[in-house]
Amino acid sequence: MRSFLNAVIFTVAVLGFFTYVCIYVTGLSGGGDGGGATGVSPEAGEKVFWGDGQCHTCHRIGTTGSATRGPDQESLASRAEERAKATGLSSGLEYMVESIVNPSSFVVEGYDNIMPKVYDPPIMLDREKILAVLSYLQTLGGEPNIDAVTKFKDRIPEASKTKVVPWVPPIEVDPKEGELIFFDDTRDVTCSKCHLLNGKGSKVGPDLTGIGAVQTPQYLIESVLKPSAVIVKGFETMYLITNDGMAYNGLLVSQDEKEVVLMVDEDGKMEELVFYPDEIAQMQKQDVSIMPGNFSEMLTTKEFYGIISFLLNQK
Amino acid sequence: MDYIKPFINFTSKKLQLRIVFALFLVIFLIALATGTGMAQENAEAAKAAKDAVMAEPYKVVDYRNFFGLDGRLIVWIISELHLMFAAFVLAVPIFVVIIEIIGAKGNDIRFDNLAREFTKLLSAAFATTASLGGLLAFALYGLYPAFMRYMTDVFHPFMFIYALCFFGEVFCLYGYYYSWDLLSKTPKGKWIHISIGVMLNLFGTALMMLANSWATFMMAPGGINMETGTVTSLYHAFYNFLWMPVNIHRIIANVAFGGFVVGAYAAVKFMGSKTDEERAHYDWMGYIGNFIGLSALIPLPFAGYYLGREVYSASPVMGNIMMGGAFSWTFIIQAILIGMLFIGGNYYLWNGMSRIKGAERYTPYIKYINIVIFFCFAVWLTPHNLPLSGEERALIGEQYHPFSKFFGVMAAKNAVVNLLILSTFFSFLLYRRANKGETKPFSSHGSAARITLIITVGLTVMYLAWYALGLRGIDLDENIKQYVSPLITCLVLQIIAIVISLLLTFANKGKFAQIFLFVVTAVMAVIYFWYYGFVVMEKANLVLRYLSVTQVSIVISCLIVNTVIDVFLFKDAREVGGIQWGKIPHRSQYALLLLCVAIVTLMGLMGFIRSGLRMNWHIYGYMQDTSAGAFTPSIAYMGWTVSLIVILFLALVAFVFWLAGLADKKKKHA
Repeated sequence: MRSFLNAVIFTVAVLGFFTYVCIYVTGLSGGGDGGGATGVSPEAGEKVFWGDGQCHTCHRIGTTGSATRGPDQESLASRAEERAKATGLSSGLEYMVESIVNPSSFVVEGYDNIMPKVYDPPIMLDREKILAVLSYLQTLGGEPNIDAVTKFKDRIPEASKTKVVPWVPPIEVDPKEGELIFFDDTRDVTCSKCHLLNGKGSKVGPDLTGIGAVQTPQYLIESVLKPSAVIVKGFETMYLITNDGMAYNGLLVSQDEKEVVLMVDEDGKMEELVFYPDEIAQMQKQDVSIMPGNFSEMLTTKEFYGIISFLLNQK
Repeated sequence: MDYIKPFINFTSKKLQLRIVFALFLVIFLIALATGTGMAQENAEAAKAAKDAVMAEPYKVVDYRNFFGLDGRLIVWIISELHLMFAAFVLAVPIFVVIIEIIGAKGNDIRFDNLAREFTKLLSAAFATTASLGGLLAFALYGLYPAFMRYMTDVFHPFMFIYALCFFGEVFCLYGYYYSWDLLSKTPKGKWIHISIGVMLNLFGTALMMLANSWATFMMAPGGINMETGTVTSLYHAFYNFLWMPVNIHRIIANVAFGGFVVGAYAAVKFMGSKTDEERAHYDWMGYIGNFIGLSALIPLPFAGYYLGREVYSASPVMGNIMMGGAFSWTFIIQAILIGMLFIGGNYYLWNGMSRIKGAERYTPYIKYINIVIFFCFAVWLTPHNLPLSGEERALIGEQYHPFSKFFGVMAAKNAVVNLLILSTFFSFLLYRRANKGETKPFSSHGSAARITLIITVGLTVMYLAWYALGLRGIDLDENIKQYVSPLITCLVLQIIAIVISLLLTFANKGKFAQIFLFVVTAVMAVIYFWYYGFVVMEKANLVLRYLSVTQVSIVISCLIVNTVIDVFLFKDAREVGGIQWGKIPHRSQYALLLLCVAIVTLMGLMGFIRSGLRMNWHIYGYMQDTSAGAFTPSIAYMGWTVSLIVILFLALVAFVFWLAGLADKKKKHA
């Protein structure tokens, strides 16, 4: 009996150590109760940020949290004001709203276009929770203004499950055939010539790795057929005229006081051209994408839907 | 010898009967109190209904609580208890049949008796497992009716199959247990008995796989329309994306679980033994339990890695939550528990060497193995990003600690896990040869040994070559693919090393062959891949998953080939001294207890992680959890709950084993 009692005491001691470690780790990780946060307030938003919203799986706030996939949100409110000015938006709040509603619209340099739409499954935040998060984000380097936040209520879609209805192409296609066409170098125009996918291809246009996880079939179809309808931030076309009257259309690679670098299509080959300020007569952002707009003529219907199916499988 | 009369004589038959009667009374009173509560609740409900002006139509409820207690907590506790008992009753038949086969082939009655003793525990635990399973089903249907309605709609054909398999398992288990004497009389009968044991395993595994498909469907649903829930393919709902990874992981984990629970049973019995004979028996039993547990523990990290990778593939959001989000800290706790298992297992082996004459030749090496294991443990524990204060960050000048950051990333963790496994395996080899002296030349073992070794090496080399060819054919961009080439080179080098080991063994240089293979493996899989992991993470992150599989493949190939060499190397070797069963230090038994508590707690923790990854979804992406409990509990809360579950499980196990032992006492007294 004594040996049994010793075994019991030993077991309880080991479990006590386990529980102590759990309590200690809870203190380190800042994990709270995760309980029901309601209403539009910074407090409720903070709970959603670290809980249901799962924002913390990709973003940290200064030394709180450890994620590095997305930008550090410390002083976000003040940074958002600067970005709003640079992008022509009315306020930093609008910039934040736009970033949540359409995450691919502003992808911060150095980060991938991986942010999911939080109102879609599996996260499915309702409108009130998103507004609460916005009010919390306002406190990061700024002052919360709940009235201003609630004015954006109608811009935020309601959480909906309808968007996860499995997409079925109108004709039977094989995603593997789509993959072959995507990387087919023998064609005049190849997707991989401008898009990177799983490390393969060129990075002229947006990286399409994991695109199926963050975009809908409708978006992809529109992007292929009407490339200028939505141009991903950072991939806008620039129109440049030099002092000697030469005109260039291309992607802006970099721009500073000393030079402007454009990526231009030179006889089917993408090349970087450097222009110095004293040789530029005019430079203007275009509303037209550099991506060819005649894919409907270059691809058969089967090929087109094959590529869409293939891209949707990239999760 | 003076006999001191104990204050309470727990071996007294009268006292035992009183305890059983007292327990019966407690259960009866609880049931009565609950029934009274229900009756009162019903009476109140009837009164409320009477007071209603109009009779309301029947209202369908989605959630209920358990007489005021949180329904989720109740389901959590019951399902974990059921899973733990199920793990035990599924694992024990696997090694019972193996032990019985060893006994039958070697005509060694000790193994047969041991297998029978394990089966006695099994039959006692089986009824508890079934009762808990029934309780779990009632709890789920009662507390989560809407969810269970849907699950029944989808899986009802498999539920009938489950019931049939359950009947199969019951008949095989009791047939296996009660026909032991009857079928042991002739060799033919013995093999019929073993066949019943094999059938028992098949039914048990089928049951586990059926239930797994329901759990993995909740994590990665397939075969349904995600909007309407209509079943489009029952096959895909059943064979969903995570089904096979979970099956593989659970089978291996169950064996480790069963081995360590049996080890703890033997430890308690050993500590309470009064005769040398009893001590020798339970020491041997504990050794077998630890051997089984450790053997399954070694491949478990590989199966865990495979499962984790597939979780990422099934849903990147879920993968992020697991390793980079809410659950990342729970993996630090997991590392502590796994560290306990490896350290406890090795500590037991080293203590075990003290009962083996001749083991003193190897004891000087043990301190080095100790250092390596603690080093691995420390690296494994290091979080990816140590939480730093603003001041510390300013002082360091960057987000990560300049030194510890190298230990926190996947490249370092993969390297130390493989080193930990190699060290434990090395430790086990030392134990095996502790009482062995001069070995016989390999050539003296005849052609059977040569053929076995050639087949083993052939299969291992074929696997490595197959994977190397697969890597060569991977469709990646050239600037990334160049980082795959070193992996192929390492696989080829390992193939060459294995072939050289084979030739050395044939040349009667088996010990040198083992050391050579160990060194080559450690240099490549641990040292080189640790460094190269950083390179890959920096320049071609995509290649990291191929690197991990290459690393694991190289280590496993070394373990397999070295084991087979070892078996023949020490076959018929001269014994320096016998194993003195029962002459093991008392403290070693606490290592067995630690192993049991650690693995039961680990199972509780991993159950929380696997289930919690779904966050606020019953069925991920389709059916949301809209109950009040749709949030992830804090790690501290999980710690308390899992500790409670472990205490309940161990208490139930102790009670059930005590009941199983009553019959033996009766026989002894008779």
